[in-house]
Amino acid sequence: MTADKVLPPEIEKVLLDEKTIEGRVTELAAQIDEDYAGLGSLVLVGVLKGAFVFLADLARRLRVPHQIDFIALSSYNRGSISSGEVRLIMDTRVNLTGRHVLVVEDIVDTGHTLDYLLRSFGARLPASVRSCVLLSKPDLREVDVAIDYVGFEIPDVWVVGYGLDYAERFRTLPYVAALKRDALEDGQRSEPDACA
Amino acid sequence: MRVPDDLERVLISGEQLQARVAELAAELEAAYSEGDRPLLVCVLKGAFVFLADLVRHIEMPHEVDFMEVASYGSGTASSGVVRILLDLERNIQGRHVVIVEDIVDSGRTLTYIVRNLRTRGPASLRVCALLTKPARRECELDVDFVGFEIPDEFVVGYGLDYAQAYRNLPFIGVLKREAYSPSP
Repeated sequence: MTADKVLPPEIEKVLLDEKTIEGRVTELAAQIDEDYAGLGSLVLVGVLKGAFVFLADLARRLRVPHQIDFIALSSYNRGSISSGEVRLIMDTRVNLTGRHVLVVEDIVDTGHTLDYLLRSFGARLPASVRSCVLLSKPDLREVDVAIDYVGFEIPDVWVVGYGLDYAERFRTLPYVAALKRDALEDGQRSEPDACA
Repeated sequence: MRVPDDLERVLISGEQLQARVAELAAELEAAYSEGDRPLLVCVLKGAFVFLADLVRHIEMPHEVDFMEVASYGSGTASSGVVRILLDLERNIQGRHVVIVEDIVDSGRTLTYIVRNLRTRGPASLRVCALLTKPARRECELDVDFVGFEIPDEFVVGYGLDYAQAYRNLPFIGVLKREAYSPSP
């Protein structure tokens, strides 16, 4: 499918095409099914906006019973998150106490946002808290944060698509692509979850 | 995927959904011109699966944003007025807005959301719903883009839940009556 489409001019190249993503999401779902079999009370918490595409595909491949919830975050400083600056805009609807919580994120780079979420959810006395992340950029990590399920480790290039945006653009491309350097000028990635 | 025991039957298969969602994306693209950059507003939680598939078919420049609403509780349902738990991140003044819904039945809540968003002065405001139950409609409401008109049955899957379950089924199924109403 990707090959037939004309790439937007700002796109350098496709890093992960639809087939590759689909295959890996299926593997992640199988692993989660195995790990949570029989445990019950699993809740997937998607981090808006970036994780909605990944979550929609992941959940449809899971067989283990689960609920789905969302949170929305912001930063106290405009721009990128360094540490301890995460502001919860919308909390989960369900009470996480006693539940098995799986945080679903599109990307982790510095790790500050995920670290905040794991600590925040851990304080609610859940049965367990784990994380499932489609993309990880280990080169950018500033906090040692545990990622239990990783889709792909990628180099430090600016990626868009499959939920990830650049100034709200390219978020809904069905593949993950690298943005050309000259397309990265005055904008910022718009969402703190994407700076994580 | 296996059909869970609590389902009476599959109403719309995964293949039918995928084909229709691709058509809806084409209908949306035909309704706007390149510079319009429509903002697709997803009403959580139910619509997120539909949105995730729909937007991946839309090649025209567009953006997405999210809202979550909750009822105030007993006695207020008939007005359709709901509490906004998560408001739009974007200012929609002068924007072309499309509300993306999983299902429209009575239409009360959606009518309120339309009214609420209209006060913000969008350039245009349309509604795109995957499913509609015309037999249940209590408000006069234009749904501009409709995936499927369905009969008045309890449907789950593809984002639609019953007590938070079944959201992740890749098809739309009809829930057995005994699964949601206790036997006499």
